[in-house]
Amino acid sequence: MNLSMLKPGERGTITKIGALGPLKRRLMDMGVLVGEDVKVEKVAPLGDPIEVTIKHYNLSLRKKEAEGISVEVAK
Amino acid sequence: MSAESISEVMRDPVRPAAASLSEEKRTITVAVAGNPNSGKSTLINAIAGTRLHVGNWPGVTVEKKEALFEYEVKLIKLVDLPGTYSLSPYTQEEIITRDYLVHEMPDVIIDVMDATNLERNLYLTVQLLELDIPVIMALNMYDEAEKKGYTIDSNMMEEMLGVKIVPTIATRKAGLHDLLKAVVKLVDDPSSHHPKKLNYGEDIESAVSAVEKQLKDSYPSLAEKYPLRWLAFKFMEEDEHVQSELKISGDVLLIEDAVRHLKKAHEEDMESIMADARYAQAAGLTREVLKRPELRKTDLTEKIDRIALNRFLGIPLFLAAMWFMFKLTFDVSKPLGDWMNALTFGPFKRWAEALVGLIHAPAWMSSLVTDGVIAGVGSVLVFVPVIFAMMFFITFLEGSGYMARAAFVMDRAMHSIGLHGKSFIPMLLGFGCNVPAIYATRTLENQRDKALTALLIPLMSCGARLPVYVVFIGAFFPAYAGTVLWSLYVMGIALAIVMGLIFKRTLFKGEAPMFIMELPPYRLPSFKSLMIHTWEKGKHFLIKAGTYILAVSILVWFLLNLPWGVESKKDSYLGQVGQVVAPVLKPLGFGSWEAASSLMAGVIAKEIVVGTMGEIYVKKTGEEQSAVKPAFTADLIEIGTSFTTALRNSAENVFSTFGISSLSTKEDEKRSGLKSVLRTTFTPLSAYAFIVFVLLYMPCVVVAIAMRQEFGTWKWFGISFAYQMALAWLMAFVIYQGGTLLGIGG
Ligand SMILES: Nc1nc2c(ncn2[C@@H]2O[C@H](COP(=O)(O)OP(=O)(O)OP(=O)(O)O)[C@@H](O)[C@H]2O)c(=O)[nH]1
Ligand SMILES: [Mg+2]
Repeated sequence: MNLSMLKPGERGTITKIGALGPLKRRLMDMGVLVGEDVKVEKVAPLGDPIEVTIKHYNLSLRKKEAEGISVEVAK
Repeated sequence: MSAESISEVMRDPVRPAAASLSEEKRTITVAVAGNPNSGKSTLINAIAGTRLHVGNWPGVTVEKKEALFEYEVKLIKLVDLPGTYSLSPYTQEEIITRDYLVHEMPDVIIDVMDATNLERNLYLTVQLLELDIPVIMALNMYDEAEKKGYTIDSNMMEEMLGVKIVPTIATRKAGLHDLLKAVVKLVDDPSSHHPKKLNYGEDIESAVSAVEKQLKDSYPSLAEKYPLRWLAFKFMEEDEHVQSELKISGDVLLIEDAVRHLKKAHEEDMESIMADARYAQAAGLTREVLKRPELRKTDLTEKIDRIALNRFLGIPLFLAAMWFMFKLTFDVSKPLGDWMNALTFGPFKRWAEALVGLIHAPAWMSSLVTDGVIAGVGSVLVFVPVIFAMMFFITFLEGSGYMARAAFVMDRAMHSIGLHGKSFIPMLLGFGCNVPAIYATRTLENQRDKALTALLIPLMSCGARLPVYVVFIGAFFPAYAGTVLWSLYVMGIALAIVMGLIFKRTLFKGEAPMFIMELPPYRLPSFKSLMIHTWEKGKHFLIKAGTYILAVSILVWFLLNLPWGVESKKDSYLGQVGQVVAPVLKPLGFGSWEAASSLMAGVIAKEIVVGTMGEIYVKKTGEEQSAVKPAFTADLIEIGTSFTTALRNSAENVFSTFGISSLSTKEDEKRSGLKSVLRTTFTPLSAYAFIVFVLLYMPCVVVAIAMRQEFGTWKWFGISFAYQMALAWLMAFVIYQGGTLLGIGG
């Protein structure tokens, strides 16, 4: 399961960040860390990117980038 | 943090002159750093009375700016830095910040925190503390944190970090006095600063001390120049930027050893281990000092976004918002523009003629003043209201937070042309003026993005092109003014998409960049700041009119009147060149030497097209206008009354734009000379082809210089010039020939 598969309103916990290099560093600098809770808020009108809340703020990223972020869906 | 104590600060305005007086006094250099969009520039503006660019989206400030002022007999230099999430630099402007902090070693860092976003901001604070530079924290946006029901125990935070913390509200100038006091106190008594050494965990700490020791032994000169702990961390993280800069490679055995050990224990790469360790500190602190309300209310931002980012409504709303913006710009400014037009070609021209007559200047001089200067600069000045209206809306968009949403909504579309949603921001800015838009490409992560964005920016119709449209639309399409204007902007955007697709497949093959962006909450910009920043943007236009366009108008006048004593403008230098070029434009419907000459002059700045047309065409009708010569006082009274009418009309137009009422009865249009002449030489179709040509043909000289500056080569401007000329010709050709075939020739 990865972040891009969550629907708006669904939550999850990050289990792994598969990205590499600058992308990974950027994600981590912005608080996207293993163990963090994320909630998908919205999908943009054209289907991409998505908006999530993490660490109580709103972050937008593309589905392609979200694919590299494994999550465990919260019940 | 009472408002009174802060107003005291403001009574000490910036006094640059004092700088030289108090040479012996040491300047205190204070770097203002923090996350993007945390309010750094707003804070500096509030303290020093500067007018740095602010906007409610991350990445407004792209280069370092300084503000010097005196406070309590001390000279303080505030340095505004681009916002950054971390000190491992990622974008060009983040590198500026990092390099500044590390190389210039300011006396103090004011760390501007967004109090609503404590943890992520503390992640940067933790890194700033590694630098061994005294830090003072400004807990900014305190109002918003309170509104969200957050309580922050800043005393406890001070204790845990050993750093002075001052709550501030930069937009209301609250807390700034305390902040400056803290700065002065720290500088006067550096020993009062006892930052706690943050412990990143036993294994990291033991590794870092091993590396520190190794660095100290092998590179004593480096260890003196840079904060040791920071340097050690950068080596462990294998920060390429630092490594290549310090030219250290070989003797890293011990570092590798320490790092290998850590990596193995954590099963992670070093950067991730460090990010985790630092965030652990930030999270720990946040847990201790911040209390959030149990129940989260849905805030205004969420409510607005439910509509603005709605799957079905998002895009139509975006387009509608743009349409309204252009329509309002046009409707509101038109009466005022007409008023200025009447003013320039009525009283001003008469007064100038009278003045020139008074000093018995020769006829050519009088012609230079009236036909050259007044016709040239005047016909551009007439557009001051339109330009300012446009800048006002752009400022509002920037301040509200919609810019970031536009990037979000448009990213998919931008992505398909190989761009980034964020490229959308420079492009939107391009509607104001292409020049700052070119500079704004700095917020983009890589060179490829920047270059592609910069190539497409000239297709965004800037304010300088507006005068040309306004004249032609006024002459040919007054009934559909808003729609025709909108169509030009949309055409620019559509062509940008097409060109983007072409460039993506030719010049810019390869991976499209990533898109990771914070969406700030909506904010209502204050009226005062709207006014200030509208003025700052519009001012450039005025300065340009006063210097550049004045000079070019004079030059054009000479080119139109030389060789000395030419009978007809057609035989002048400019006219001759125009005649040579005209046949090329013939298939486009405007193959006259007049049109060609005006377009050539417009290469310098597109507004000049109108000015030059003013000079070429208006002469013919000049006589009838100055037939009656009212007295000076009558002129003044007329100016006053017509101004009130103009104001009333533009106010009424606000309502009629929204369809609330259509009070404004179309006044019998004051015949401006240029418009009526144009109607005799253009058809509606060729007029439209002409303004499309103006929209597309080459960027102006200032944009060329900006591109050169940003990229260090003429290459991108060259490409831009070539493709735009081709595109302009092609589009005008299609419109004119297609229209003629379809019989819309008119
Ligand atoms: N409510 C509130 N808004 C603030 C405060 N300080 C700044 N703002 C708003 O926050 C937004 C960002 O301000 P800027 O000064 O441009 O932020 P910056 O830190 O310079 O941002 P970058 O240059 O992008 O790094 C603007 O819309 C400001 O009006 C504050 O204390 N309270
Ligand atoms: Mg700024």
